[in-house]
Amino acid sequence: MTARLTLHAVTYHYPASPAPALTNVSLEVPSGAVTALIGNVGAGASTLLLVAGDLAPRVMGGELTGSVERAGRAALLLPTPWTQVSGMAFTVHDEVAFGPANLGWPRERISASVERALTRVDVAHLRDRDPATLSGGELQRVIFAGILAMEPEVLLLDEPTAELDPLAARRVWELIRSLAAGGMAVIVATNDIDALPDVADRVVWLESGTIRAQGPAAQVLVDRGLAADDAPGSTAVAAVWRAAGLGEPPPLTVSQAVERLR
Amino acid sequence: MSAVLDLRAVTFAYGGRTALDDVSLALRPGERVALVGHNGAGKSTLMRLITGLLKPSAGSVLVGDWDTRERRPEELATRVGSVFQHADQQLFARTVREDVAFGPRAIGVAAGEVAARVARALGALGLDAVSEEHPYDLPPPWRKLAAFAGALALEPTLLVLDEPTAGLDRLARRRVAAALTERAAQGTALLVITHDLDFAAATLDRGLVLDHGRLVRDAALAELLALGEGLETLGLAAPPLSRLSTALALPGHPIRAQEVASALASVAARNRVS
Repeated sequence: MTARLTLHAVTYHYPASPAPALTNVSLEVPSGAVTALIGNVGAGASTLLLVAGDLAPRVMGGELTGSVERAGRAALLLPTPWTQVSGMAFTVHDEVAFGPANLGWPRERISASVERALTRVDVAHLRDRDPATLSGGELQRVIFAGILAMEPEVLLLDEPTAELDPLAARRVWELIRSLAAGGMAVIVATNDIDALPDVADRVVWLESGTIRAQGPAAQVLVDRGLAADDAPGSTAVAAVWRAAGLGEPPPLTVSQAVERLR
Repeated sequence: MSAVLDLRAVTFAYGGRTALDDVSLALRPGERVALVGHNGAGKSTLMRLITGLLKPSAGSVLVGDWDTRERRPEELATRVGSVFQHADQQLFARTVREDVAFGPRAIGVAAGEVAARVARALGALGLDAVSEEHPYDLPPPWRKLAAFAGALALEPTLLVLDEPTAGLDRLARRRVAAALTERAAQGTALLVITHDLDFAAATLDRGLVLDHGRLVRDAALAELLALGEGLETLGLAAPPLSRLSTALALPGHPIRAQEVASALASVAARNRVS
């Protein structure tokens, strides 16, 4: 697997902010895999996505030291979809076409890419709706479709399931897996720790702007430190397994627990 | 005791599209209620009707003895505190503290009491350290917490919240849960739109389910969570501990962490698993 994105010793300050939002962060993001960023609000996960997407410092301002290498086009899904809607389209179809149209692609390519994206994100039935009338969850998926329609090689997702009902969230996690299987490099910041054993290949745990731990998901997610009061938490199954005083390392999912008790 | 909120056969349509269809329900003081359902089921529309931003096409919405048709939203705000899904954009003051103080000041709370309420709300949500910052310098989940602090400081008879834990980390989720529990103990009724059933199980005790604009369930939350796979038809997914309970057939189908852990310990002892 080739690295699509490499951060080397990155330290970043937002404008007029005395404390750095990221300190000495080094990270390699491979293609064909899902890398999950976990950490408390303010730990730096969203900032890391802005840096990876070339929005910080290029658009946000601020100061960055260290190096960032990108191989391929990156696209970022913000956690607040209502701030990401173009406001210039009166139908979902045109909203999804907005990104690719701005890449200057020929009409046929735009149209094919939009159709593919609408279907993949399961919003084809909304194509004629006005984006302004959608629910939060529907809008989040429409914006996701708009990002996929630009056919990025690096997909940056900030809390992509925050506005979704549980079944819609599960479909988005499955979509994320299949995009990675298709060769995309995916980085996703999330507080949904319970989703990660089945979704993430690698986990990066951020704390106060630094990397506290990173590695294969199965390894990072059993870290006892995750269960501390001010940490992101372990999976619900791992937590009750330990509370029951059973053997280390704990299972992370329901099916792993059933397996262990067989 | 009289109802804090009383919806009588409420119907609402956006143009030709019916968003709520003949919904009736009532909330008593101090009740802790979860409102759940698919994206697009009508949850946010219900919230806009309760806060008076929309008026029902048919039926009536009563907040205490006020009919929302006869009151302006700012008048209703003296009884209903609300945090919308886009709450990160409902802030406007220069500091978080000023923003939280705006509501109680606007409804005529005395200055000394405003300061005390603001301090309590900021403390309860862990926002002390950022109280002098500009709201838009904070990450969106914290802005939503600031909007929540503003609603708490109103000390309303009814709080309606749209996804108060979305995007929050575990520590902040716990603070929100504790603040809500405390407010309900003071008599505020809670109506919380949420997909976070772990949070709901720990904080709320009655569950309303909307499906395609209709109220299809009104039951004890524990009863809803025990439906297991049956939750899926309602647009919900059983939380991991509920699924673990089902998969291991734990006696009594526990769903709260402590009870699941002790049931697990006895199963393991029986199987002599280390």
